[in-house]
Amino acid sequence: MSSQAAAVIGIGQTKHKKKRDDVSLPGLVREAAQRALDDAELNWTDIDAVVLGKAPDPFEGVMMPELSMADALGANGKPMMRVHTAGSVGGSTALVATHLVQTGVHDRVLTVAYEKQAEGNAQWGLAGGRSGGMGAGGIFAPWMRTYINKSGAPEDIGWKVAVKDRQNACKNPYAHLHLPDISIEKVKESPMLWDPIHFLESCPSSDGAVAMVLTNEAGAKKAPRKPAWVLGTAMRSELGTFPGRDTVRPQAGVECAHMVFDAAGITNPREQIDIAELYVPFSWYEPMWLEGHDIAGPGEGWRMVEDGSTQITGDFPVNPSGGVLSSNPIGASGMLRFAEAALQVRGEAGEHQVADAHVGLAQAYGGAAQYFAMWVVGSSLDAVGARK
Amino acid sequence: MTDTKQPDSKQDEAVDPNAPITGMDYFMKLEYHELICPVVREFADALMEKRLIGHKCPKCSLIYSPPRGYCPICTVQTTKADEIEMQTRGIVTNYTVVTPVQYYGQEETEPFAKVSLQLDGGGNLSLQDLPGVPVEQVRSGMRVEIVWAPDGERHVDDVTNRSWGSAEGAIRGWKPTGEPDADPSEYSDKVF
Amino acid sequence: MVNDIAIVGYAQSPSWRASELTEPQFLFPVISEAIERAGVERREIGFTCAGSCDYLSGQTFAFVMNLEAVGAWPPISESHVEMDGAWALYEAWVRLQHGDIDTALVFGSGKSSPGKPAEIYPLQMDPYTLTPLGADPVSLAALQARAMLDAGKITEREMAEIAARSRKSAIGNPYAQVSGDDDPEALLKEPYVTAPLRRHDLPPISDGACAIVLATADKAKALSKRPVWIRGIDHRIDIHQPGMRDLTESPSTRLAGKKAGVGDAKVDVAELSATFSHQEKLLCEELGLGDDVEINPSGGALAANPVMAVGLARFAEAARQIAEHGKHRVVAHATSGQALQQNLVAVLEGD
Ligand SMILES: [Zn+2]
Repeated sequence: MSSQAAAVIGIGQTKHKKKRDDVSLPGLVREAAQRALDDAELNWTDIDAVVLGKAPDPFEGVMMPELSMADALGANGKPMMRVHTAGSVGGSTALVATHLVQTGVHDRVLTVAYEKQAEGNAQWGLAGGRSGGMGAGGIFAPWMRTYINKSGAPEDIGWKVAVKDRQNACKNPYAHLHLPDISIEKVKESPMLWDPIHFLESCPSSDGAVAMVLTNEAGAKKAPRKPAWVLGTAMRSELGTFPGRDTVRPQAGVECAHMVFDAAGITNPREQIDIAELYVPFSWYEPMWLEGHDIAGPGEGWRMVEDGSTQITGDFPVNPSGGVLSSNPIGASGMLRFAEAALQVRGEAGEHQVADAHVGLAQAYGGAAQYFAMWVVGSSLDAVGARK
Repeated sequence: MTDTKQPDSKQDEAVDPNAPITGMDYFMKLEYHELICPVVREFADALMEKRLIGHKCPKCSLIYSPPRGYCPICTVQTTKADEIEMQTRGIVTNYTVVTPVQYYGQEETEPFAKVSLQLDGGGNLSLQDLPGVPVEQVRSGMRVEIVWAPDGERHVDDVTNRSWGSAEGAIRGWKPTGEPDADPSEYSDKVF
Repeated sequence: MVNDIAIVGYAQSPSWRASELTEPQFLFPVISEAIERAGVERREIGFTCAGSCDYLSGQTFAFVMNLEAVGAWPPISESHVEMDGAWALYEAWVRLQHGDIDTALVFGSGKSSPGKPAEIYPLQMDPYTLTPLGADPVSLAALQARAMLDAGKITEREMAEIAARSRKSAIGNPYAQVSGDDDPEALLKEPYVTAPLRRHDLPPISDGACAIVLATADKAKALSKRPVWIRGIDHRIDIHQPGMRDLTESPSTRLAGKKAGVGDAKVDVAELSATFSHQEKLLCEELGLGDDVEINPSGGALAANPVMAVGLARFAEAARQIAEHGKHRVVAHATSGQALQQNLVAVLEGD
């Protein structure tokens, strides 16, 4: 094994908005990257390599944008990579950067993910330019219906998740949606987009970027602020369409969770994880992933929502940042989960900080719920052990 | 593939010439011409003869329609020898009701349903239409049969390598047979 | 310290002007062949990484279908770069450094035939200042060639000689699309396509795929009698704006070559992704490859240019030189962007 410790020492994100018409594409990514560097008290010249991630290029109409962003990201003369694994891309991108540090290939890596949805039209992109596009919700709605039917979950579970994440977002100044008046009633009364998904149970369409600086143990010791240590990583993919596929509890998601738990030494995720940032673009995915990643038993995920366990004050807070339901710059959404989990274990999450957060799980998924990327971060290298 | 926006007639409205420029629209048009792959061509030819075909994997017996030329589960290639004709009746296993959002090229304005089907005798189709069935009546378990486009009107112009399963020029959609709904045990584990 | 990783299997599709097969359909046998040649079981492979591009095929999430050619069931550990497959190889090389897995599959694939390169590639340039100008690959390459001619770094005759040699080398290469025995004098009599570039200076438009299997040292020795060792690999990017670069130089190639250790010992052969004739000379200068180095015995990118696979195919061809033709030290090069903006260089060696 030639694997060494890696840690996040700098985190930066933009204000996420419907339309960031005050910045160009390179301006958007540079804003996040500069904040991450400032957080780490490093300069552009301290960075050895840049790893960029985003969702499909046709969303903005720029092909292989790492080429034209190299200048803004200070990458000239450096290695630069561009990752694309559908919606999980923000997570996978962070993992590629982590692996570069863990294997000793580089000492300090800047990783950035973004989407500027207002620059193009994601709905058009998703539909491949054809009429009658299903939208992401159209693909996932039948699977949520199946989850509801199988688990016997009451219909208000989805509404509760929608309210909780928007209330959390009000504590996060970077979140796109700030809806202080959100209520169960409002979610329930909002238009039905894809039965059973109401408008307010869906993610917004956002412009935004996020960046992190990763380094090795020596670099982390020199960092001005507390590092978030990477305790485990995992990526897992499966075929998206074949007869008989379990779309509600995709096997790749189950395996990815077990791989990352094993890597981090987690034997009881519900007890040993203090906070989770899960990719929940539609409210029902919170209970579905709690079960789909074996954090909760079959049919128990929705009960965690119902009894308030996943609230910011609960025993297993999920998406204290407000999650994808409150900010969705698609390509960045996965990395935002990873960065928010790191902020929590660093104790730097501000108003949405979860008390005594030492072990954080982040997850991103993509495609037809077939691509998964996860990491576990901790406030120290033995954060999980200290939890036992 | 064509870009999202078309020049907007509103642009003719009076604009303040002294207003700062904050953005510009750049319209692009890209044309792609892709050859139809042989297995999809065979699928399209069969549709013209009112036959629905698929490939049955010689190893695991899963049926793929339209044929893909391989079984991705077993990683074996499939050929004409693996072709089977499928039945044109089946069960709705799941559905989506989409409230269309508008984008360039979107022609839908009212909520519409797309259903997944499990065909009698095996095989599945996704993204199918139930024309004439009000969206609130669409449900899992419905028994349906194919509605072919009439002779003379039938065409396969819209069949491409990417339109896995949808072929509106040949298959108008599916209509309820009026039989009692299938028991969930017959389809509940097949939700793709 | 990095661990030695070896190429233990490789395969390519032919390079077609327009394949009627879909990308997963023509990838399918290529991946199977690479795995078979490596002598590993598909399920043993610890990591898979692909390179492809949505804009080539004009489809969002085009790479998702390519997963079908891998057989990603039961689930696999997998990633994808929106870059040439050579960068997928790099990501897999990094992943193998962890030491917890011992084999990786990488592949690159692309269908350039459905679209028009002159329409698509301007989208690869700065969207505010260059895309609206329609900055296409041939025009940018022509500017680069003109700059080299003006600087006295190449002549049109040398360009024709490079093209003629590439076409001649491609004779008998089953993966090549363009081959032939051409007299450079005759080529120079052809009209310009975009001055100073003539038809022979340009790459063909190609569909195709390439797959490679990598293994860690112990595994490679167990699998292969002639593992091809990756002794050094590095990649760098240059400034994007062509107006801010000296197009007659490629600092990213120079630096990547230095980091990969190209100059540390004698090089026998180099497989370079020179998609335009003049770029071969520029790359040779930056990598310090002299007249004693055999360049592109496969015919190179002027003979077959399956975008997103062409860089990875240089690794396959370089590995072939070692495993099948007894060469010892071979350089593989891949590029991304226009006028050689981003470059990856590796040194491969036999035992
Ligand atoms: Zn099979």
